[in-house]
Amino acid sequence: MEDKIRHVICPYCGCLCDDILIEMTGGEISGVENACTLGARKFLDDAGNRLKGPIMRKGDEWVDISYEEAIDYAVKVLSEADRPLLYGWSGCMTETQAIGAHLAELIGGIVDSTTSVCHGPSILAIQEVGHPGCTLGQVKNRADTIIYWGSNTIEAHPRHLSRYTNYADAYFFHNAFRERKVIVVDVRKTVTAEIATEFVQIDQGGDYHVLSALRAIIRERGGVIPDMVAGVPKAQLIRVAEICRQAKFGALFFGVGITMTGGKYKNIRNAIEFISELNRYTKWTISPMRGHSNVYGSNEVFTWISGYPFAVDYSRGIAFYNPGETTAVDILARKEADAALIMSSDPGAHFPRVCSEHLARIPTILFDPYPSATTHLCTLQIPTAVNGIDAAGTAYRMDGIPIMTRRFMETVYPTDTKLMQEIYDRIRKVKEDA
Amino acid sequence: MHEILIKNAFVIDPIQGIHGDIMDISVRDGRIVDKVSGTCEVIDAGGNLTLPGGIDSHTHVCGTKVNFGRYMSPEDMRAGRTPRRGAMYHTSGYTVPTTYGNSYRYSKMGYTTLLEGAMAPMEARHTHEEFAATPMQDMLANTLFDGNWNLFEAVGDKDIRQAAAVIGWTLSAVRGFGVKLTNPGGTEAWGFGDDLSSIDETVPNWDITPRDIIDTSIKACEFLHLPHSVHLHCNNLGMPGNYRTTLQTLDIPSDLNPDRQTLYLTHVQFHSYGGSTWGDISSEAEKVASSVNTKPQVVIDMGQVMFGRTMTMTADGPMEFRLYTLHHNKWSNHDVELETGSGVIPVYYSRKSPVNSIMWAIGLELALLVKNPWQCMLTTDNPNGAPFVKYPEIIGLLMSNLYREKELDQVHKLTTDRTSLGTIDRELSFEDIAVMTRAGQAKALGIIDQGKGHLKEGALADIAIYPVKPDQTDPSLQYEEVIGAFQQTLYTLKDGFVVNRDGEVIRGIPNRTFWVNANLPDDMDVMKSPRFVEKFSRYYSVDLENYMVQDDYVERGIEMNTHVA
Amino acid sequence: MMQVTLTMKPRAKPFLPIEAEMIVPMNFIGSRELFVWEGNKKRRLEDVFTVRKEGNVNSPENIVVILRGDTGRVKRVGEYMSSGIITIEGDIGMHCGNFMRGGNIVIHGNADGWLGREMRAGSILCHGNAGDYCGSGYRGEKRGMRGGKIEIMGDAGDYLGEYLTGGEIHVHGNAGMFAGAEMRGGTLKIDGDVRIPAANMSKGTCIIGGVAHEMLPTFEKTGEKNGMVVFHGDVANKGKGELMIRQVQENSALQ
Repeated sequence: MEDKIRHVICPYCGCLCDDILIEMTGGEISGVENACTLGARKFLDDAGNRLKGPIMRKGDEWVDISYEEAIDYAVKVLSEADRPLLYGWSGCMTETQAIGAHLAELIGGIVDSTTSVCHGPSILAIQEVGHPGCTLGQVKNRADTIIYWGSNTIEAHPRHLSRYTNYADAYFFHNAFRERKVIVVDVRKTVTAEIATEFVQIDQGGDYHVLSALRAIIRERGGVIPDMVAGVPKAQLIRVAEICRQAKFGALFFGVGITMTGGKYKNIRNAIEFISELNRYTKWTISPMRGHSNVYGSNEVFTWISGYPFAVDYSRGIAFYNPGETTAVDILARKEADAALIMSSDPGAHFPRVCSEHLARIPTILFDPYPSATTHLCTLQIPTAVNGIDAAGTAYRMDGIPIMTRRFMETVYPTDTKLMQEIYDRIRKVKEDA
Repeated sequence: MHEILIKNAFVIDPIQGIHGDIMDISVRDGRIVDKVSGTCEVIDAGGNLTLPGGIDSHTHVCGTKVNFGRYMSPEDMRAGRTPRRGAMYHTSGYTVPTTYGNSYRYSKMGYTTLLEGAMAPMEARHTHEEFAATPMQDMLANTLFDGNWNLFEAVGDKDIRQAAAVIGWTLSAVRGFGVKLTNPGGTEAWGFGDDLSSIDETVPNWDITPRDIIDTSIKACEFLHLPHSVHLHCNNLGMPGNYRTTLQTLDIPSDLNPDRQTLYLTHVQFHSYGGSTWGDISSEAEKVASSVNTKPQVVIDMGQVMFGRTMTMTADGPMEFRLYTLHHNKWSNHDVELETGSGVIPVYYSRKSPVNSIMWAIGLELALLVKNPWQCMLTTDNPNGAPFVKYPEIIGLLMSNLYREKELDQVHKLTTDRTSLGTIDRELSFEDIAVMTRAGQAKALGIIDQGKGHLKEGALADIAIYPVKPDQTDPSLQYEEVIGAFQQTLYTLKDGFVVNRDGEVIRGIPNRTFWVNANLPDDMDVMKSPRFVEKFSRYYSVDLENYMVQDDYVERGIEMNTHVA
Repeated sequence: MMQVTLTMKPRAKPFLPIEAEMIVPMNFIGSRELFVWEGNKKRRLEDVFTVRKEGNVNSPENIVVILRGDTGRVKRVGEYMSSGIITIEGDIGMHCGNFMRGGNIVIHGNADGWLGREMRAGSILCHGNAGDYCGSGYRGEKRGMRGGKIEIMGDAGDYLGEYLTGGEIHVHGNAGMFAGAEMRGGTLKIDGDVRIPAANMSKGTCIIGGVAHEMLPTFEKTGEKNGMVVFHGDVANKGKGELMIRQVQENSALQ
């Protein structure tokens, strides 16, 4: 039996493409249309790769346990911990993220999302100077000038250009592709750089310097700028500044190539101030290229519940936020956490070694449908239904557009929302009884 | 069955025409009833002021830009932090508190219904998600149409029926309540960094003007029989000399609806400025109020400014950018494709500033010069003019000339010359305040029949009991007691349960979302128009099938069914 | 005079942070019970420290509080303190001297991040090194340290004096990157080397006695003074700050 499901939302990256067509054969995904290779793989690699049920580490062995036993263990570990860390969340839907934030509040824990290792610096910058942004359709319909800075978009967000920027249909242009200019700024000539009208190659760690120089030029203080800034000739900087000023609508997108190098959030702050300054002359917006499908949702949910987008510490009942102190990597590197709940993410693959070592030392509970590098560090792994395949909920696109993902497959797995609610209710009862 | 009897209540219920009688109120299963059994729970109101639950007809508490105000302001979150206790989750924030912070503080002040002033249709799910996390109030969402391309086409074609089709479909699709126009046409112009300076200026790339948008929307709104009128944030907000635009706008609507106004003008304080620069800005509140006084088809809200720190947030993107160039503080902007814009910046209103002092006076002038309290609602355009926790102080200022004079002494001295505040000696009564904080809102929003804003038999048992005895209090002199009373109820009841006692939330009740289903006839269904569907798929960045808000987001929705003429 | 000696007791989980903003001289007048937080548990001060009081006084300026033992994880010591002396014999945790309004803090070891954050008056002397964000502000806040003095005998971490608005910071060793970023007043003096100093400064004075690496291109050279090159900036904004540098790194990869 073959079935076609339309308008499926891809749960892979922050683009949240919502035009995916899935073909089902015999209850399994047999074909994917419209998705990029990264998204297609997310769907096609699903079959046969999931854990069958919860597994618990006993000595050197994994033992199958029931969901009930798994929940019992999680309740005990989390309710007794002195500094529990609840990390991940970017693959969860907002419904689960909300329970997670309240769980952290209930147990006096720290709730942090993968933001702290991707666009956390962007948020710190926004907290200093704000964020002139827009939805992606605004760029698609209006932008005549697009900058990709520190983002190899063609490889990291393959459909960004065709859905939202360079190759997308535009209301205000007859032939958008020919009329748009693309500027790529990076430390190396990426695949994305090859389609650029103007490629600006910067020395490693020089983003801040180049942005300061561009700001000075826009403010007509270019006289101060030396002939070369971080490997970029002054003449090119002046040319780029002029292209920006002549744009009718410009959009700058930045990736982890600038958030996670050199001055981190200071780079982003400088980019935002550059864009804010340009708005005195014409229209410009700036947007982070968010990675995980619902990482932005975690920022939104944590913000309306706690006031802070990530790295919230509830150890004293009230919410406290201070990235560098309350971020997962810092908590683990300092060996503070005495228990960890990892939600659908893979710190084992992305965190510094000292953090992984600490995770391996403490009770670590992993929610993930699939085995991962973090499996090797955890004490207990609980597989759940996969959001966007056999579970649905709300996800926020990288520009803040909330979309309900679709559940298009029957499942034998519980959703992470249901399990999280059960853990929350059980711990609340434990606390009330105490 | 759950029953409560409130005894010895000093009741003011303007909708019923109860002007301060000591009486008992019976409540059963969430509604006001004629009588209850003798064994039920009894609350002795002790002769204290008892009003229907408060309604805010224009506030910003939920949704994309509100949350962005939080997101960019960890420094604001440091104020107002409370831990989880009893039935309350933790809270953070002062100018833009968390959803629970907003909800608990409103509840403490006796508010049980809030209208979120601006929801971009495309981001409606976000607003609804936050509604679900604002547990102590029933919620309504004004839906933004100021830059809606589908509406613009209908306006360009002068096709009221088509405009109604777009509005009706959108409200149902996003579970919205009313039609909000924010700087109509201006937010579209801001798409390319421009703004409009008059209601007769053509919107760039569209052969229409703000006047056309306003006029057509009003007619479409009445054609659809929507409960609420068009809710308008005029063009030129915050510009010296903008009172002319406001007066011109006030002349647009004729009286089309016997049950309520035909046009609701919001935060009119920000739109009543004379002069031509920040240097010579003055109040034109008298002219604006005079116009309102001759137009029963218009209701306004104050948009009062109070001194101190706050956060401005509006769909009016170009205005926020102008404000940013004045304040040089952080600036956020968020245009929404094919629909609207928005901006957020923090501000500090200072008594030392002549401009801020004049703004403060203008809001009060409007409330005192508009003769009929049913035509002027008490708001701060929370948090734009001030956080809503300042409402009690505004009540004090409106009820006491003495307090006004004292405050007028403390503000910039130009205020006396540039406004008429010092010459007004009107003092509002408790009944006026009851109108301006609940009864008037219920009428203006068209939710009296939903049981809101009054205590008639069958009404929702949303009740606020304030610790003040009106028959033993002279607000003119005892304004401090009045302010204190409105800051914290003795009891707030929602749906027949005491939800707040002496400022503490003691229980939650699942809240509702009121939304409008326009029940369009088949020939008005835009989904059946190939042109609509084709344009949607070409220019929006989401599929039409993923745009419409699922019922999951309004699990406790109250569907208000309307029918076209 | 009164001397209060707090000696850290051995702990079952020594890596847990302790939040102890109640450790300010004033709180030791009288005998009210004091609490600190260890992770998410509230503890009596005596459960965490051995407390010894000598002498008895009525006003905080005559009180010396001495912290002894493994105090590197104790945060917020001296927060909001207005007078008296705190002496820390070893290392101290984050946020020591937050919002300080008067009195003296002396640290014989190293201080962790956010030393003297948003400080208004008083003085902090750190004989060892200071972590990141010494003398800075809080996230999203537009003002860092506003008054008083911080002196670091060793090195300072990154973002030293971020948003410095008033007062003086003197680092005898080196500082990390972005020292004096967003400075808008006060004086920041670093005897050693720095990376990317005074970024986006708008006012104030930043003096670098060593080498400035990765100097920004947006400072205008205006002359020389006391053997130092004087710059004005940051011209990326309308900055009117003064940046004096002994030696700008030559052949910088970034210039």
